[in-house]
Amino acid sequence: MLDPTVITENLPLFLEGALMTLRVTAIAFVVGMTIGGIASVAILSSIAPLRWLAAAYVAVMRGTPFIVLLFLIHYGLPAMGVRLPALVNGTVALSLFAGAYYTEIIRACVKALPKGQWESARAIGMSPVAAARDIIIPQILGPMVPPVVNCTMTMIKESSVLSTITVAELTFAGLVVQGETFAPFEVFITVALIYWAITAAFAFGAALFERRLAGANRNRLMTPLVARYLLLDGGRT
Amino acid sequence: MTQTALEAINLIRRFGETRALDEVYFTIPKGQVVSLVGPSGCGKSTLLRTLLWLEPPDDGFVKVGDRYLGKDLSPEGLVRRQSGREIDRIRPRIGMVYQSLNLWPHLTVEQNVTRPQIRVARRRPEDARDKAQALLDRLQIAQLSDRYPGEISGGQKQRVAIARALAMDPEIMLFDEPTSALDPELVGEVLSLLREFADGGMTMMVVTHELAFARDVASRLMFMDHGRIVADGDPNTVISSRKNARVAEFFDRVQAFHPDFRNPHQRRQR
Amino acid sequence: MKFDFDYVLSSLPRVSDAAMVNLRIAILAFCLALIGGTALTLVRSLKIAPLNGLIAVCLSFIRGTPILIQIFLIYYGLPAATGLRLPPEIAGITAIALNSSFFISEIMRGSLPEIDGGQIEASTALGLSPGVIWRKVILPQLFRRISPMLINEGTVIVKGTALLSVITVVEALRVSQQIGAAKFRPFEPILAAAAMFLIINLALTAGGLLLERRFAREGR
Ligand SMILES: Nc1ncnc2c1ncn2[C@@H]1O[C@H](COP(=O)(O)OP(=O)(O)OP(=O)(O)O)[C@@H](O)[C@H]1O
Ligand SMILES: [Mg+2]
Repeated sequence: MLDPTVITENLPLFLEGALMTLRVTAIAFVVGMTIGGIASVAILSSIAPLRWLAAAYVAVMRGTPFIVLLFLIHYGLPAMGVRLPALVNGTVALSLFAGAYYTEIIRACVKALPKGQWESARAIGMSPVAAARDIIIPQILGPMVPPVVNCTMTMIKESSVLSTITVAELTFAGLVVQGETFAPFEVFITVALIYWAITAAFAFGAALFERRLAGANRNRLMTPLVARYLLLDGGRT
Repeated sequence: MTQTALEAINLIRRFGETRALDEVYFTIPKGQVVSLVGPSGCGKSTLLRTLLWLEPPDDGFVKVGDRYLGKDLSPEGLVRRQSGREIDRIRPRIGMVYQSLNLWPHLTVEQNVTRPQIRVARRRPEDARDKAQALLDRLQIAQLSDRYPGEISGGQKQRVAIARALAMDPEIMLFDEPTSALDPELVGEVLSLLREFADGGMTMMVVTHELAFARDVASRLMFMDHGRIVADGDPNTVISSRKNARVAEFFDRVQAFHPDFRNPHQRRQR
Repeated sequence: MKFDFDYVLSSLPRVSDAAMVNLRIAILAFCLALIGGTALTLVRSLKIAPLNGLIAVCLSFIRGTPILIQIFLIYYGLPAATGLRLPPEIAGITAIALNSSFFISEIMRGSLPEIDGGQIEASTALGLSPGVIWRKVILPQLFRRISPMLINEGTVIVKGTALLSVITVVEALRVSQQIGAAKFRPFEPILAAAAMFLIINLALTAGGLLLERRFAREGR
């Protein structure tokens, strides 16, 4: 009863979709991390209005479903006269969404450092930039890896929502094939398996990276548990 | 006339109801060794942090040598807040060794000492390394240069923290309870190190509960209570003075735990 | 085109009515997920190797695939494979509850080691059966401990209900789209929907904080 030709004949379409999923998530990762860096500095700063602004951004992004944010941007930008392709709108939305979660991660990792680390750097005359670059950032890179991996995996999955605004990523490819073949079970199982493979490969790669990072800096304790990642560990972000 | 190393002018700092600093004035001339004593929570750490302008006070001025730190006061009486860059330039003139040391765990011992020299004093890396090696050698921990702070003992960490501060050639060194985090058998070691610095003419302000240091090494004792300097002067005089009830009570209590410590007052009692 | 705040306000009544559907779905799915998650945890505690292996694979699948695909699998895939056709709302609740069951079970497993083993030993020594020990000793403490994480899971579920608009469930987002389609201006009604979700989740988070504070005051 399973019809394998549905899958084999449309494999190129699925793979193209998967590639688009990866591309969109990669951009969202880079842009989101940039936003996260900036917003976490704002949240940790002593300037109250900046702090409130960044906190509000995080709260709104985390409290609203991604599909709603996506629609807000996809329909809101044209309403303001900014007409961009759906792919751009989708990537912007995913980046803004991811940025809020990365902000939280960076903030938490910085907060976890003893306060004296920052203070001793400033006390000896380091500028805020030097203290961040030389003292804070090197110390949070390691602890950041597991939550960032987890969060980025969530973003890979959330990117499936971009199909609703016709971005030709993996889920959209599935919807297209299902419209042509009327074989939803085969199609969505295939799509699910591809997502599963992507997230598993990503998690595995991240575990290797984490272990290398731990090896490069013997001073830090980390959790290089490849086995853990094979089960795709980590909860909700 | 002796030169001034550090001056506090009317420092005031409140946390809600508690007065961590209450009209603190003092002048420390070059070469003086001051011990700062007082009950827990009286504001000693806050004072040191304020002197570095890490914790800007509600009111008051700090002067390092002839230069204000944090806020300028012109002869005409105009007050001007300094920019972050100005503050960063003056801070290295004060060396600070924290109670919790605050070594940077991701840098080796040597890097802990060279990094501020390179970043702040803009020394060339090889000069910074020479300086670091000389200091680590002097503090007898040269063999630990390539270790990380997590891999050395508490006493050794203390020396690294001292070397890190000294590398900036500060005009005054501030120590916040340098012995409190150490095993008892290491206390003597650190105290003799401090005595060595004192004999070498270093200007120091040391927060301590070690009366042996306060009495024998320091040439001046400041006693702090509820954010105020309530007694200030020659250590033996302050310790034996009965003028201030709080001071007397404090030293009576401390002496109970220091059987080797005898002061004239106690001898009189016997 | 200018932003029309009155338009946002005028679409609020219909959208907020529809948000009650989201709330209803979320509450139902949450209760089911709580039951499912507890059941999974109990089954896993029996340590039957093949069964736990199967659960581990399912867990990995649920975690490794988008919930949107899981919704599609149940709404479109299930009838094609088995002939069992579920109404959109039921299919959505099933997908969300299934998804959350596994996450809740993981949350529970993560906090299980924090529970004092001595109490369990003492209860065993008293001759209590494992069922009673779970019901009276372990689970009450466990739920209390994981309540902050359950609140977080609750917000995830609330957000998940918005996805059901894709399978034609008439909830807040879909209603806002309908309003927008009728007036040829989609933005403002969606803003109203966003506000509804934000309000629900902020209320949930605030309630969670209150709960946590009360637990803290009672001394765990
Ligand atoms: N950031 C802060 N917020 C609120 N109160 C503070 C803060 N920092 C210090 N305090 C209060 O200010 C007072 C002085 O604190 P400080 O740390 O300077 O005391 P201390 O003399 O160094 O004590 P110890 O001997 O225990 O180190 C205390 O009552 C403390 O509770
Ligand atoms: Mg202190």
